[in-house]
Amino acid sequence: MQDVERFRKRAIFQHWWIVACSLLLGLTGLFLFLSWVSPAAWWGWSRLVHRIAAVGFVGIPVIYFLLNPKSTWEWLKEAFTWNTDDLGWLQAAPSYYFGGPEEDMPPQDRSNTGQKLWMLVAIVTGVVFVITGFIMWFFKGSAAPGVLQAMVLIHDIAFIAGGTMLLVHIALAAFHPRMSEAMRSMTTGKATVDYVKSHHGKWYERVTAEK
Amino acid sequence: MSGKAILYDATKCTACRACQVACKNWNELEAEKTVNWGSYENPKDLSTDTWLKIEFREVGSNGDLRWLFTRKACMHCTDAACVKVCPTGALFYRPDGLVSLDKGKCSGCGYCVEFCPFEIPRIDTAIGQVFGRAAKCTACTTPGLNRLDNGYAPACVKTCPTGALEYDDRYKLVSAAKAKVEELKAIGYGNANLYGEDLVGGTHVLYILDDTPEVYGLIPDPKVPATATAWQDVIKPLGYAAVGVVGLGLLLNIMVARARIISKEEK
Repeated sequence: MQDVERFRKRAIFQHWWIVACSLLLGLTGLFLFLSWVSPAAWWGWSRLVHRIAAVGFVGIPVIYFLLNPKSTWEWLKEAFTWNTDDLGWLQAAPSYYFGGPEEDMPPQDRSNTGQKLWMLVAIVTGVVFVITGFIMWFFKGSAAPGVLQAMVLIHDIAFIAGGTMLLVHIALAAFHPRMSEAMRSMTTGKATVDYVKSHHGKWYERVTAEK
Repeated sequence: MSGKAILYDATKCTACRACQVACKNWNELEAEKTVNWGSYENPKDLSTDTWLKIEFREVGSNGDLRWLFTRKACMHCTDAACVKVCPTGALFYRPDGLVSLDKGKCSGCGYCVEFCPFEIPRIDTAIGQVFGRAAKCTACTTPGLNRLDNGYAPACVKTCPTGALEYDDRYKLVSAAKAKVEELKAIGYGNANLYGEDLVGGTHVLYILDDTPEVYGLIPDPKVPATATAWQDVIKPLGYAAVGVVGLGLLLNIMVARARIISKEEK
């Protein structure tokens, strides 16, 4: 069967790099969140891991942006571009994801509405994490206590929002039968023509028309 | 209220600072290089090596000058914000109501520093201090340096030459202190008060003052920050609920979708 390129190698590398950093950050953060795993944070080694992972979390996207400003910009534009098809998708999605008919789903672009929603959550919580984390790292002791209290709270809210949505992303991408080629796309970069036609019809037509 | 307490009588304190020295001596804390900044008060602030200090204040009063001294150290709150926000259990309540700190469990997050209404705990934040630990007065209950559980009074109390510091059951100290406050009022100190009796659930360090807390540089109405309550009692439980609901929903969704899509393929 014929394949279509969904993601470039460098995008795939960036994706899994951020996955690794996020898991490290989430896990070491969880040590301070759940009292029964808190002994893992004793002596503060997890704080060191958290900070190293934070540098990776910020660093690779910055490097990626500097090397690929155009595609980064397009990706950002994609996440923030919404139209009536997205509304249709949101209406049809609950039935579709519980195994309902595929015909009700409006044709989707390179990323479907759900994926764009996740991109938005990842971008917003990512920025919130970085700003609040930066203040907690470098302004500990110099910023006003009230400011640092607020940073801890906002960091935690972002953790709950981003972490919960990450669970949705992982469950759908890795285990949902409808997303049968999601994992393959994000590892090999390729998906079959059939899959792309049914899942990203709008994008497939645009890409084939360009050729 | 039961438990133990330390009573500081500001009217008996001569600011000899023997308590400061005894605290460092017993708790094996390094001396700090001090500078002359125009006061006998030194060092200028609490630090990870200075858990207790005496503050000096010159206060104008009816055309006269009063030289007032205040003890600055952990107040051992009954509702301690530091214990509430400490994620690892390094800060904890002892059965006698005092708030102790086990450095071996401290992750160095510094939340106690930010949330303490009295701004007492300290942590090393200098670059390179990756493994900085929180530090504060433990009322001489630090593991390995535990005076209280071996039948001794805290080092500061033991060394105080004027009786300005006492250590005893809290209720005994409260009634003695109240009697002293009445005496002070009777001889003309109308603003005399007992500081700490009802603050943040009742502190286990109490101050006899012959003037208002503000005059002594004390926070008149310390409170557990609303952010601490919102964070620990609202946001965290909401987080558990969110993860629980979403997790169950996803499990159900994937099970149903698999069953339906596989049965469709079979047709």
